[in-house]
Amino acid sequence: MVPEMTEELRANKLKTDEMLINMGPQHPATHGVLRLILKLDGELVKHCEPVVGHLHRAQEWQGQNRTWFQYQALIDRVDYLSGMFTSWALARAAEKIDDVKVPLRAEYMRVIVAEMNRLTSHLLWLGTFGIDLGAMMGLPFYPFREREELLDLLEAIAGQRMMFNYIRIGGVQNEAPPGWFARLFKFTGSFPDRIDEYEAILSNNPIFLKRTKAVGILPRKLAIDYGVTGPTLRASGVALDLRKVKPYSVYDRLDFAVPVCNRDGDTYDRYMCRIIEMHESNKIIRQCIEQIPGGTADVLREKRKACSACGKANCPHCGGDLAIMVKKQNAGLRVKAGEGFAAVESPRGVLGCYIISTGSDTAYRIKWRNPSFSNLAVLPELLLDHQIADIMAIFGSIDVILPDVDR
Amino acid sequence: MTESDQAEKSSAGTAAPGQFGQLLSDNGIESNRLPDSCGVETIEVDRQQLENAVQRLRKSPEAVLDLLLAVSGVDSPESYDSVYHLWSTSKSGELVIKVRVAKSEVAPGELPEVPSLARIWSAANWHERESYDLVGIRYSGHPYLRRILNPWNWVGHPLRRDYKQPVDALNDKNPVSFR
Repeated sequence: MVPEMTEELRANKLKTDEMLINMGPQHPATHGVLRLILKLDGELVKHCEPVVGHLHRAQEWQGQNRTWFQYQALIDRVDYLSGMFTSWALARAAEKIDDVKVPLRAEYMRVIVAEMNRLTSHLLWLGTFGIDLGAMMGLPFYPFREREELLDLLEAIAGQRMMFNYIRIGGVQNEAPPGWFARLFKFTGSFPDRIDEYEAILSNNPIFLKRTKAVGILPRKLAIDYGVTGPTLRASGVALDLRKVKPYSVYDRLDFAVPVCNRDGDTYDRYMCRIIEMHESNKIIRQCIEQIPGGTADVLREKRKACSACGKANCPHCGGDLAIMVKKQNAGLRVKAGEGFAAVESPRGVLGCYIISTGSDTAYRIKWRNPSFSNLAVLPELLLDHQIADIMAIFGSIDVILPDVDR
Repeated sequence: MTESDQAEKSSAGTAAPGQFGQLLSDNGIESNRLPDSCGVETIEVDRQQLENAVQRLRKSPEAVLDLLLAVSGVDSPESYDSVYHLWSTSKSGELVIKVRVAKSEVAPGELPEVPSLARIWSAANWHERESYDLVGIRYSGHPYLRRILNPWNWVGHPLRRDYKQPVDALNDKNPVSFR
């Protein structure tokens, strides 16, 4: 006797199969060019293989085939949203090998521009994270209001909006133009309120909470195992911020907090970490403007009229702590023989540069340790058993930038 | 790089093992201290001992080197080096481990072999793929040793000193060049 075909039986007889779906390389939400090979069971991700390398520009090869002076200008492109940090990592590694003491004023300038750059990077992330979650109501361009102001300031001091080439081996390139410090100080006054505005849109928004809470949980152990760093790691409860743990430059003179979550972080925690970081960066900039030796560029320019900006090392207005560059910037730039590794805390994590130098005009080997590279490697673990719609929410929350992965 | 330059730079204390070298020798693992790289202890470990050594450094409570920052392949004049930068997330320790495979040991047409750490650190997985891709070091025991930055069918290892660039890599009309 043939059993009656009930709905349940019919459903059980349905042939289901895992499906292989290719996401990208061109996808509006992939922040660059990333291909994900997804194995799906219905809506659930069962396996994911990221295919990277579409933006490979052979930066390490360039490092050993271009002179130091040429290469300095190229490395902003490694991570185009935070070019200051790649320059800084290279400069620090080279200065370590070279035994160069960077003047204090240059160190302060570096911290100021780097923290500004961290703000621009986080602001862009905030906007695109909104799009990744489907907030198409104009959110992506709200944070651009502050980002534009910061980029204008960075352009005024470095000459370029994104590829700054401002932090160089031995110091920084320019003194700030007239009125720059005043503009920046005014900006830092209003900035916390602006962040609160964005928070008011997102942090308590029920849709936002549904999409981010308990989504993409990254356990502490897994994060360390994969070498994840930056806000993504701190949201998972590991207090690894180089600015605190291994203070470099003048960070040990500054008063700021590092947000650390005390549990295994989800997408929401990673969002919150970055929001708090922006407040802290703002504080750092304000302190630097107050502490910088020699005062603002305008004050210093007045003082230097007395010595007609002689630039001599023993001049009380030009030399010592008040200089901004101690190495000649021309094609003859050399770094002594030796090897060293230096890292800075970039918006995405520990950005390291490993240099082997033979003392010639090019490096023998330059290896980049990019935070995005390690952070992206953990993505398949995070996506497992999540809905296909959550892929971009999770991917957005670890803030990967693909040129930084591919170099 | 001339070895004498480096030896001069940190002539003091190159012979005596450092903190981590001592820890390894206490546990019966041989290591060879190299000149410090900018103040960070640098040791050379034999490739047979590598897995043992890093397991010990990772687990022992004095070291806790639990963060593998980077694996870098280096084509040195005399050898192929695989360089590991280890950090600790809970302490301030830093260590650089080098595994060297002398060029004289590598038969022509073969790749130098170094044991993979991918089973110990998931972080090693991608970094070793990159080192294989760019410098041509084969990591034995790696779960998925495939090119990561260059196209999968790329020929040669670009960061080798003897690497020859393809004549026209950009406009290659070969359809299999496109992934």
